[in-house]
Amino acid sequence: MFANIGEDIVTAVLQGAPPGTVYALVALGFVLAYKTSGVFNLAFGAQAYASAVLYFKTHAEWGWPVLPSLAVSVFVLAPLVGFLLESLIFRHLRTAPPVSSLVVAIGLTIAIPSIVDLALDFQPRNGQIPLGIVPNGNSVYYPVFDLYSFSRDELMAMGVATAAMLALAAMFRFTMVGLKMRAVVESPRLTELNGLAADRISISAWMLSSLFAGLAGVLIAPRFPTLAPGRFFDIVVVAIAAAAVGALVSLPRAYIGGLALGVAIALFNTFIPRWANDHSWLRPMQNNITPALPFVVLFLVLVFMPGLRRARFAADPLAGVDPPPRSTVIPAPISASEIVRRTLGTTLLVVTLIVLFTRGDSAFLYLAGQGAALAVVYLSITIITGLAGHISLCQGSFAAVGAFTTYQLAARYDTSVLVGAVAGALVAAAVGALLSVPLIRLSGVWIAIATLAFAFFFDAVMVKFSWTGAPSGVATGDLVVPRPVIGPWDMASDKSFLAFLLAVLAIATVAVMLLSRSTTGRMLRATRGSEIAAQSIGISPTRARVLAFSLAAGLAGLGGALLVIQQESVNYDTNFAPFAALFWLVLVVTFGARAPEGAIAGAATFTLFDKVVLQGTFIGWLLRSPDRVPGLLPVSPKWRLVLFGLGTIQYASHPEGVLEMARARRNRRRAEDDDHDDDHVELALEASV
Amino acid sequence: MRGRDVTLAAPLLAAEGLGKSFAGIVALENVSLRVDYGERVGLIGPNGAGKTTLFNCIHGMLVPDSGTVSLAGHDISKLPVHLRARRGIGRTFQRIELFPDSTVRDHLVIADRVRHGEKRFWLDVRRHGTPRPDEMQRSDEMLALFGLSELADEPIERLSLGQCRLVEVARALMTKPRLLLLDEPSSGLDRAEAAALASTLFDVQQRQGVAILLVEHDIELVARFTTRCYLLEAGRLLRAGPTAEVMASDEMRAAYLGSLPVPT
Amino acid sequence: MGLGGAAPAKNGADVSAALELRRVYAGYGPFRALFDVNLTIAAGEAVALVGSNGAGKTSLARVASGLVTPSEGSVVVNGRDLTRAPAYRYARAGVAHAPEGRSVFATLTVEENLELSIHRIRGRKGLKAGLEQAYALYPILGERRQQLAGTLSGGEQRMLTMARVLVDAPRLLIADELSLGLAPLMVQHTYEALQQLRQSGVALLVIEQHVTHALALCDRVVILDRGTPTWIGSSEQARTRLQTVLHSPPTSN
Repeated sequence: MFANIGEDIVTAVLQGAPPGTVYALVALGFVLAYKTSGVFNLAFGAQAYASAVLYFKTHAEWGWPVLPSLAVSVFVLAPLVGFLLESLIFRHLRTAPPVSSLVVAIGLTIAIPSIVDLALDFQPRNGQIPLGIVPNGNSVYYPVFDLYSFSRDELMAMGVATAAMLALAAMFRFTMVGLKMRAVVESPRLTELNGLAADRISISAWMLSSLFAGLAGVLIAPRFPTLAPGRFFDIVVVAIAAAAVGALVSLPRAYIGGLALGVAIALFNTFIPRWANDHSWLRPMQNNITPALPFVVLFLVLVFMPGLRRARFAADPLAGVDPPPRSTVIPAPISASEIVRRTLGTTLLVVTLIVLFTRGDSAFLYLAGQGAALAVVYLSITIITGLAGHISLCQGSFAAVGAFTTYQLAARYDTSVLVGAVAGALVAAAVGALLSVPLIRLSGVWIAIATLAFAFFFDAVMVKFSWTGAPSGVATGDLVVPRPVIGPWDMASDKSFLAFLLAVLAIATVAVMLLSRSTTGRMLRATRGSEIAAQSIGISPTRARVLAFSLAAGLAGLGGALLVIQQESVNYDTNFAPFAALFWLVLVVTFGARAPEGAIAGAATFTLFDKVVLQGTFIGWLLRSPDRVPGLLPVSPKWRLVLFGLGTIQYASHPEGVLEMARARRNRRRAEDDDHDDDHVELALEASV
Repeated sequence: MRGRDVTLAAPLLAAEGLGKSFAGIVALENVSLRVDYGERVGLIGPNGAGKTTLFNCIHGMLVPDSGTVSLAGHDISKLPVHLRARRGIGRTFQRIELFPDSTVRDHLVIADRVRHGEKRFWLDVRRHGTPRPDEMQRSDEMLALFGLSELADEPIERLSLGQCRLVEVARALMTKPRLLLLDEPSSGLDRAEAAALASTLFDVQQRQGVAILLVEHDIELVARFTTRCYLLEAGRLLRAGPTAEVMASDEMRAAYLGSLPVPT
Repeated sequence: MGLGGAAPAKNGADVSAALELRRVYAGYGPFRALFDVNLTIAAGEAVALVGSNGAGKTSLARVASGLVTPSEGSVVVNGRDLTRAPAYRYARAGVAHAPEGRSVFATLTVEENLELSIHRIRGRKGLKAGLEQAYALYPILGERRQQLAGTLSGGEQRMLTMARVLVDAPRLLIADELSLGLAPLMVQHTYEALQQLRQSGVALLVIEQHVTHALALCDRVVILDRGTPTWIGSSEQARTRLQTVLHSPPTSN
């Protein structure tokens, strides 16, 4: 019997090696990027995707031989992407706080795959995956101890990963290159004072890590059923778990962490079904434990590994050399032009609504309703990011909690969906509060990653229970949610429900504005500005964080519930999956997370931009005839992802978003007209740097 | 207030036998320090002496490896920063810590509100969080005291460094502390500004009766401002006593003399 | 103001000047910190830069080492115009800058900090000798070679900066508040090192709060007020002049 178990363990280890290698490969790349550029590069998966798609195009579709395909996709495209990212974007973010680069990386995660798809005319389709880089990679097998057989592809990937780990570790240990890259990460200015060209070092670091991303992309693509950006993003999050084991800086430990994760999953897959036979409580979870493992590991590592938590980014001692960010609040009296502008804006909104209600076709009404519900969800980002200053990547999960609660209450107990929505908001708020407790000691980037881990955990496990997703256990479009009836009003039609949604949105907007001005809002903002100063006047950072998370989660839950009522079914994968919800943050941050307008504009963009702008409806309306729309239109909806994904780039210099930025610029121009006296500021600056 | 009688005899702040080391390097070694009600005490020593570490242990940002901190006889060693603040410890920071995107008055009102605050969430939301008349009055008084009345509605980004320091002190005082910790308030200020700050502080201290513990590089300022002082070097207490005595001591000369500003 | 032209040029010929600032205006973004600065430092000359807080001393040092690019005017190093060049070109042209405050890589070890600059100057072969030279100058750095520089005390960090500069053997050293917050013995040590550098022909631009130290070391003194040099003269002349300037309260707006 023991021999049997021993055999099973060996089999599981062998089985776990190939997926573990994939994790190790991506984890190595992630650590490489983090070490040499200081950026928490979530876009690593997007970079890998770019090379994988080009390799597929050239090799599989255009029939190029392996070597030229590999050369173009890995050794030309990947470094080029790295070169562009560094020189156009990240070079200018060197002195920005790490959270800013993270937001930009999230934007790029959205934008790069769409750019690739558009440029190469590629559409992810099931089964369209590249073959491995060795001939017959997936058909020739080499058995080991008669327990498990490795394919050539797998052996190749394992060989490359091991070789890469050794080569990179050697580079950091024995050459000056690694040392110079680490120096630039800490302070490009100080590096230059040492006579080293910081820009050149930084560019080569990015090209190297990007090359590695490309290589990883080509090597791991054959393992996927579909060549889709979401898959690569998932792998990156798993790889972060592996890399976190190595405190994000140790290459050998990231490698071992990746392998260990693969092996652990295989072991779980082997043994949990057997234990479940003996322990009935395990049975409902047996399918969920393994996919959740990496995210649980990541979450626990973040929360319990003090070294990682305290891994502070050493501040650049010469950061003061760069021009300081200008104040975002320049108070200006409400002038005549401002009144005119506001009146015009309001009139425009009212006219739009009238047109929508009287003349809008059903498609528009449906999209507008969806936009209004989403706007409520987006307002939660206004609270958590705009007011409290945290990047939360699990707002989709909170919204899903609201949605599932509404569905379950309606389906099982025949509760009114409106009661369900309120209950959903409360449950989501409770989940948010619970989640925030372990996160209390984390800050900045780590909160973002921990919430991402939670979102993936939710995605892998929580969705699939009968008391969340469905009796069937899988969340699909067949979870029907009815529309509400309040007294005499039946809201079955999109038009009447849109009116209801707009009313809720208005109330939610006012509530968020009131919250922002209240003492609680002031405390959250103070804590965002300087946590230690807020504590020094008696503000509890724990209370602030729990409050921010539960309010934001509650609002997201309400919005999620409204969205599924509006859509009349729960569509988890389309609406709430972690990768889908990334775009929410991108939109709100681009427009401005500090004020409700940003959330509303973001939601309108999410639902209507494609239909109105990209498909040419607006231009057609302007030209009075759909036939006169220029042949350029309609363009692919992917442009939306490109446009707003790249829109995050301005987050670093303008965290207040484009709407606020425009307003501040107007005010500043006015303020500067009557105030040319900047001398005192200049002296203060000189003294403080 | 039971226990009041018991603690009346206790000094306002008593730090006993504090020790702290970072990664094997000793930053503080068995340091004890005492501040009485309404007293002005200085803490001096060359760079790396452990002044800031000691400060952070008192304030709660750091947990000392050994020793206790008590405020008015109550052991506060285990309390987090914000609870120590509510018990009456205010502080300023060497590297200024203000709330960006806020006006001067915002800083004072928020500090005041944490102290007197609207505890009920919904009442507060209904009130829009606008300053109440009594809050306006208290913040106006504080602004006047620091000569900041003109700047009440300026965002702090438009203030000079010296003005920022004043806002920091005013914010700390709005919480009505019993003990105010000042961490190098004159750093980054020129002589005239530093002198102005010192006289304002003196004024405020006289009126509010708050005790002050001052960390400062500017020895002249310490000499003028404090009655007692502690001399720290390499994490150990070299000497403590009346400021004039400490300044004239051999230890002081040994630790400091060479780096004193050149007399004119 | 053009005071630089009136200053006693020691070696006359401009080509040999270690550093020349011509009509320099500079600042940070919209904030102006320097106005019309003319300053020449001849090879081997030591100049002290004096002025109240916020007068622009640090900004001037940053312009001189290429960290801040002037908005107007030009910077000439050893006869080469480097106005728009990045900072590393200045370093390669022999300008060493020990900036105010922490100026070591906190996340690198002591040895790695030293390796960065020694490797550039002497290559892989000279690395060992260079390190030994640095540790001979400051034995305590040798003891702590594997320690992260961020965990060193303020004084030790300065030693590391000085070791880097001394091994570098620059043509011009810009020392910004090198003795700030150092124990008296360390201050003395630092000034002895600077004196040695000076005797070996290195030009110095010294910013120092302790004016007597600076005056003892330097030939010439430049007084900076509100971003402009208002007075340039010899150390002897400066001694009398300074007492009045330093202690009159600056006019504030």
